[in-house]
Amino acid sequence: MSGLLGSLSIALSSLIANQQALESSANNVANVNTSGFSRQRPVMIAGDPVVLGRLSFGTGVVMQKLESLRDPILELRLNQESQTQGQLDSTLSALQQIQVTFSGTDSGIGAAISKFFDSVQQLSTDPTSLSLRQGVLTAASNLATSFNTASHNLQTQHSNLDLNVVQTVGEINTLTPQIAALNRQITDFENVHQDASVLIDQRGALIRELSSLVDVSVIQTEHGITLTTSNGTPLVAQERSFQLTTQIAAGGIHKIFAGTVDITGLLPAGKLGGLLDVRDNRIPALQTSLDQLAAGLATALNTAHRSGFDLNGTAGIDLFVPPPAGGVGAAAALSLALTDPVLLAASSDGTPGSNGNLAVISAVHDQAVAAGQKPLDFYSRLVFQVGSDTANAAADLDASQLILRQLEDQRASISGVSLDEEAANIVRYQTAYQAAARVISTVNTLLDTAVNLGT
Amino acid sequence: MRVNPYPMPDLLAALNRTRQDTQEALLELSSGRRVNQPSDDPAAAAILVQNHDQTTVTERYLQSLSSIQGQFQTADSALNSVILVIQRALTLGVEGANGTLSDTDRAAVAAELQGIQDQLISLGNTSFQGRALFAGTLTNSPPFVKDNTVASGVRYDGNDAVNAVQIGDGYQIAVNKPGSQLFVAPGHDVFQAMTGLIQAMQSNTGFTAAMTSLRDAFDYTSGQRVFYGNTMNQAQAQSTYLGAAKLQLSQQENTLAAADVAGAASRLVNSDTATNATLAAIGRISQLSLFDFLK
Repeated sequence: MSGLLGSLSIALSSLIANQQALESSANNVANVNTSGFSRQRPVMIAGDPVVLGRLSFGTGVVMQKLESLRDPILELRLNQESQTQGQLDSTLSALQQIQVTFSGTDSGIGAAISKFFDSVQQLSTDPTSLSLRQGVLTAASNLATSFNTASHNLQTQHSNLDLNVVQTVGEINTLTPQIAALNRQITDFENVHQDASVLIDQRGALIRELSSLVDVSVIQTEHGITLTTSNGTPLVAQERSFQLTTQIAAGGIHKIFAGTVDITGLLPAGKLGGLLDVRDNRIPALQTSLDQLAAGLATALNTAHRSGFDLNGTAGIDLFVPPPAGGVGAAAALSLALTDPVLLAASSDGTPGSNGNLAVISAVHDQAVAAGQKPLDFYSRLVFQVGSDTANAAADLDASQLILRQLEDQRASISGVSLDEEAANIVRYQTAYQAAARVISTVNTLLDTAVNLGT
Repeated sequence: MRVNPYPMPDLLAALNRTRQDTQEALLELSSGRRVNQPSDDPAAAAILVQNHDQTTVTERYLQSLSSIQGQFQTADSALNSVILVIQRALTLGVEGANGTLSDTDRAAVAAELQGIQDQLISLGNTSFQGRALFAGTLTNSPPFVKDNTVASGVRYDGNDAVNAVQIGDGYQIAVNKPGSQLFVAPGHDVFQAMTGLIQAMQSNTGFTAAMTSLRDAFDYTSGQRVFYGNTMNQAQAQSTYLGAAKLQLSQQENTLAAADVAGAASRLVNSDTATNATLAAIGRISQLSLFDFLK
């Protein structure tokens, strides 16, 4: 086709294409603050030419598609870093709460151990004094309480983390069906060759959210996306999602199941990975250390105490209730076995004024009571452990945040909407639209001239 | 290369970081401590546990020293009195032995000597804060009791045990000398010697032997008193040493945990400057875009 009417149709195609382009710019501007939105760019191509004799004429412009600008590899790296950050975030916040139990040199287990031995030394200068004997019992009772409190704090942390695990599994279970539903919609759109980029953005944002909760591997297939944990447990397979379940197991903690398979130990990353690590590894390890110290110290002090004689000249009994065999739960259960200061076995020979056995009790201060270490050496090692674990998690989180920021920067530089760019584009589309309109008006004039030729 | 059109999140993250630095510097300055929780400096936190324990122990040694010092002084002055009293008995003995006294006079001297014997028993029963000082470890009852069934007329109810108190790591000192060693040591029994002199005075015979054993008891007791003098000297020296050790521990604690005031202040200034700069940068981000210039 050629001639004036051909020009008219070319101008019309330009009007339509530029209007559509304007629309995409308008949409970009509208979504300037939408998180996860990838800007769209119109792709226009020239219309198929028509050949007239030796000449080939263009037929205007066609809007081929609106292209979403995103880098799939970058999205994957963002997902991975979100997992790391989610894990470090939950680990750090749990460790920060745990280390409170071990901070403070004037309170806590370390100070209680020091004060107990201090009271024993004090009694040695006046072994018959009932008030000083009471002082030793009070210090021993405080020592037991400090172990009880520390153990109780860890237990509380443990229960809170367990609750958090259940909640996180719930969050995962609300995200996966949404992702599966989006998968279905995206496939439907793509089956009829429609642009699904908005839905893809939404799905990307949800996968990002899911990645911060649990370790997720994204497998792109022809029929959409499959999400699995790193050990291969499916979370979403194309249009289907799979719920994770929790069940109370031994010790009152929740185990995580995929179907009938226990995957609790197989989730290293994401918020869930961090929570599980602290809940199942770090807190039990600390609890075991506390038990070890409580049991070792109580047993050594009991042995020392039994080697002496009380104020009545009777052989000493246990100072603390003997810790359970194997030591499990020793810190939580530690308590005094005697309340009468007269029964404190200070004497080494049965005479009331002797202080000989107090030296034996004092010597426990420098005895290897737990893991071949002296009580305070063992405790200070524990303080170091907790402190360095927390400090390391904080440093790792800082680094991860930096990486995530840089990745976000990169993502924004590719997918983010720039208002300047959109303004310039709008001017371009407007100018093109105006020019096409001018062509139509010119053609109109010419047609008018042609129609009026006959009159 | 297209740039990130949203610099705001980066700037906010930077602002967050500088504000965190400010807060940490402020905490260090206001608490006066650099290590407030183990993660601030894990190694220092671990050493602080030991430091705190050693400080507690050292302070206890010092307090033990001062509380046994009172006991020592009481015992020492009791022994001093014992020596003076025996001296008086010796003088009386010399008078009695020179053969010029009448029977009546000798009876009077014997009565005075008996009074001295009672005084010695009372000194042997000296107590400090309710504890008999010369009873070994049977401190809750007076160790010396009059008893006519024994030769010396005085029975020792205490024992031979000695208490030791720790005044340093692996450093214990004996804090008492049992009466059995001070007053009734075999061959140097003070009460026996006194009884001998009283009997000599009453019977007007055997003065030489009685005076010899009393002199011997006098020399022996004087020698035993040296124990308290020596131990008090040791205690004094240890006290000086512990004072220095305590100072060293508190210096170590300062080095480990005390706020680095100058450092913290300069970090405060730095982070404050950084915060202001970031705020200024955010303020100067153009609120305008190309849209504002298209008419």
